Amino acid sequence: MKKHTLIIALMMFVATFANATNEAYEKAMMKEIQALGKAGPVAELQKSANAFARIADMNAGEWLPNYYAALAYANMGFRTEGGLEEKDGYYAQAKKHIEKATALSPNNSEIVAVQGYIIMGELAADANSRGQSLSGLAMQTFGKAIELNRQNPRAIILMAQMEYGMAQFFGQGPEKACGLVNASLELFAKEAAEAKEGNLNPSWGKGMAEEMKNNTCK
Amino acid sequence: MKALFTICLFFLVNLTLAQTTIKGIVKDSKGETIPGVNIFLKGTYEGTSSEVDGSYELATDETGKFILVFQAMGFKSQEFEIDLNGSAQTFNPILKETINEMTAVTITAGAMEASDEKKAVVLRPIDIVTVPSAMGDIIGAFQTLPGTANVGNDGRLFVRGGDASETSIFIDGMKVGNAFGTTASNVPTRTRFNPNLFKGSFFSTGGYSAEYGHALSSALALNTIDMPMRNQGDLSIMSVGLGYSQTLVGKKNSLTATANYMDLSPYQAMVTQNFDWERAPYGFDAEVSLRQKWGKSGMVKAYAHTESGGMKIWQKIPGSEGRGQLIDLKNHYTFTSGSFKQIGKNDWSYYGGISYSNNVDEFTLDQIAIRNQNQVVHAKAVALKGFSDKFSLKTGLESYVFSYEEGLKSENLVRDFDDLQVNIFTEADYYVSNKLIFRGGLRAGHSTLANHTWLDPRFSLAYKFENEGQLSLAAGQFSQMPVEELRIAKPEVQNTIANHLILNYFLTKNGRTVRAEAFYKDYKKILTYEGTQYFYRNIQQNGSGYAQGFDVFYRDQKTVKNTDFWVTYSFVDSRRKFAQYTEMVQPGFAPRHNASIVVKHFVSGLKSQLGGSFSINDGYTYTDPNFAGQMNAKTKGFQDLSLSWSYLPKPNLIIHFACSNVLGRDNIFGYQFSPTPNESGKYESLPIRQTAPRFIFLGIFLTLSKDKTANNLNNL
Repeated sequence: MKKHTLIIALMMFVATFANATNEAYEKAMMKEIQALGKAGPVAELQKSANAFARIADMNAGEWLPNYYAALAYANMGFRTEGGLEEKDGYYAQAKKHIEKATALSPNNSEIVAVQGYIIMGELAADANSRGQSLSGLAMQTFGKAIELNRQNPRAIILMAQMEYGMAQFFGQGPEKACGLVNASLELFAKEAAEAKEGNLNPSWGKGMAEEMKNNTCK
Repeated sequence: MKALFTICLFFLVNLTLAQTTIKGIVKDSKGETIPGVNIFLKGTYEGTSSEVDGSYELATDETGKFILVFQAMGFKSQEFEIDLNGSAQTFNPILKETINEMTAVTITAGAMEASDEKKAVVLRPIDIVTVPSAMGDIIGAFQTLPGTANVGNDGRLFVRGGDASETSIFIDGMKVGNAFGTTASNVPTRTRFNPNLFKGSFFSTGGYSAEYGHALSSALALNTIDMPMRNQGDLSIMSVGLGYSQTLVGKKNSLTATANYMDLSPYQAMVTQNFDWERAPYGFDAEVSLRQKWGKSGMVKAYAHTESGGMKIWQKIPGSEGRGQLIDLKNHYTFTSGSFKQIGKNDWSYYGGISYSNNVDEFTLDQIAIRNQNQVVHAKAVALKGFSDKFSLKTGLESYVFSYEEGLKSENLVRDFDDLQVNIFTEADYYVSNKLIFRGGLRAGHSTLANHTWLDPRFSLAYKFENEGQLSLAAGQFSQMPVEELRIAKPEVQNTIANHLILNYFLTKNGRTVRAEAFYKDYKKILTYEGTQYFYRNIQQNGSGYAQGFDVFYRDQKTVKNTDFWVTYSFVDSRRKFAQYTEMVQPGFAPRHNASIVVKHFVSGLKSQLGGSFSINDGYTYTDPNFAGQMNAKTKGFQDLSLSWSYLPKPNLIIHFACSNVLGRDNIFGYQFSPTPNESGKYESLPIRQTAPRFIFLGIFLTLSKDKTANNLNNL
């Protein structure tokens, strides 16, 4: 009997402990996701990326910390006023993290969308010489993200941006891109309505869609 | 039991109340502060980042022994053991930089790289194929780069006073024999390979790595596409022929099959020719390319290309009437290769492969029938080991079989040779820092035919300045066996030797590239002889020479919107005693002043890319037997203005129009003289001219795929 009590106590202890780690993970993630949402300058994004990298180290089985670390690095690439080398340095870090996320969760629409977002960043950093080789790859990647989940508003709004760029290049109107913007806005609304308290899944990108709606698709 | 558990819990809770503060400043080895360093206690959520001034403060409730980690992009991580006991602690670590492949210095002496992936590149692959004067030939584009000479009646690559045989061409690291199509004398040739195949190229005009042998002046390494993006069919309808290519892409493998048919007859019927064609050039080619991913990071490629073609042309003989001599030429060519690359454990990586080239030329010159066959087998295996981020060593083993046969069929005379060569090379790269690199290499070889062993040392270094500009220096010895046509007449001939010394400055920043290079090259043991092919006499290895000069290259994609242009100037002072010359002369293929400008401008309103290129040099030397001396005369300068217009009405359709020598300049590459003087004692001459005043190209390229935005822009 005594032995059994011990085992039960131990089991309870382990359970509590496991629960505690899970709670700590969720708590840390919630805090950092909010911080990332507010982060503006590169220095803040770097802190955010560092924080997600730490959480990723602690939770080797979770894809989300690496996903957010990659997103933070990609945003650093977009926002920095530095040169090409600096931008490419951030995108290289972003790729490292997104590859880790992919290994943990293959064929994940959100991860593939961020992969495309990184490619889009590399393209934007030197459009003159990279346009030809990367624009097709970026569109293909967003296409894959949409195929994996047609309800992913981020994949759709990113695709809309590429479509708009292509339309401009070929001197066409923005209709196709704007169709995607509207579709993504509907999905963003749906996502917001369905979101539960403490949701850790990606929910960014609405601002991007609203901006395009207001500026490009009046 | 229960009590014990409670006590334990009490201790746990109690312990967490003691808070420890860790603080300090993170600096690099130069004393500069590092912002954004990730600082954390291993195995916990406790962590922070350093501020803009490098300072940090980490307050933690943990107690006991932990490992404190400092981690930052571009630096080696540092770890400290730390005992958290409530008392404040200070750590001021100095982080050492790591060698960053992306931003570290690269050796650019002699090298011009076209790549989408790497830094320090001169061009992107797409730029190469959209040069207007290139007409879709890779080599045509390289002729607008520094260090090259445009020899319009030949079409091959002439680098810094070297002749065309001094450039070796490799596909995926494997030697390509007879990379250029066989042609009649003074009819320019093209490379046999479609620019669409390649994702990038490495073109060196001297001082290259010990990995490349059999090249006195230049190495051109072409790399094929790893994995195409999608299933697609590419149809091309051109003024000179038809082509279709189908690509199938699987998860881990892909297949591309291509067939082309070319015939210049209809074109020549419409556009006036300078040459007297009996049968316009025609030919077909077919190729298959297979790629298979191997494990996580490896790749295996197989490639086969075969083609057949011919032409018949009347060539006038100076001093005699009539159409002259009829040359009937047929060529059959096959190139196959298999290559692999794989990344192993512990920073080992491997690559290598095997290739086979077989070229058969059948000539009929009036009544004389000639058949020549040239075969090359190349096998190579290379292992690369990174001992640290600073030091790596590359070692490779290569073997070549050169087999050549030439025969006068009409006389039943045949002669041949086989030469087995074994080469071994090793090369070490050492990064002193991200700004300074040294490279040293050795290449040894042995030829069974010549019974000759040689050793070529090579060395280079590069330094990167604060402003991202870099200075490189390269020096070394380069060996190459003479061309087959001479070796067969005297099999014991040994290597010809060149020594290179190159100083290079390279800066690429904000869409602008500047490259300046000065060079000195000397030639030893080059061949002199009397007579012509099949009848060479008195072959001696007593020739020598030099080439020196400088070249500059400026490219700008920024200053003018939607416009990309580059300007090149090359100065070459070259003299050598070679071939039938008995004294030092300036070779006919080495004009002193060479310049070119390439401009490409995209007009959104027209959905078009407009291109123009202009090339100029100061003329080619030749020997006029009516006067004393060798190479005693010079042609007027060469000039060519080419224009192109690519129209993209739909993303998957391209209409490309290009015209060379728009101004119709009558370029002359030299003169042919009658073998004997006429009645008044004068040697009569005929100018060597272009095949036609202009070449006009019209092509329609349609891509068929699910992805409507795909196109075969690479074809242009």
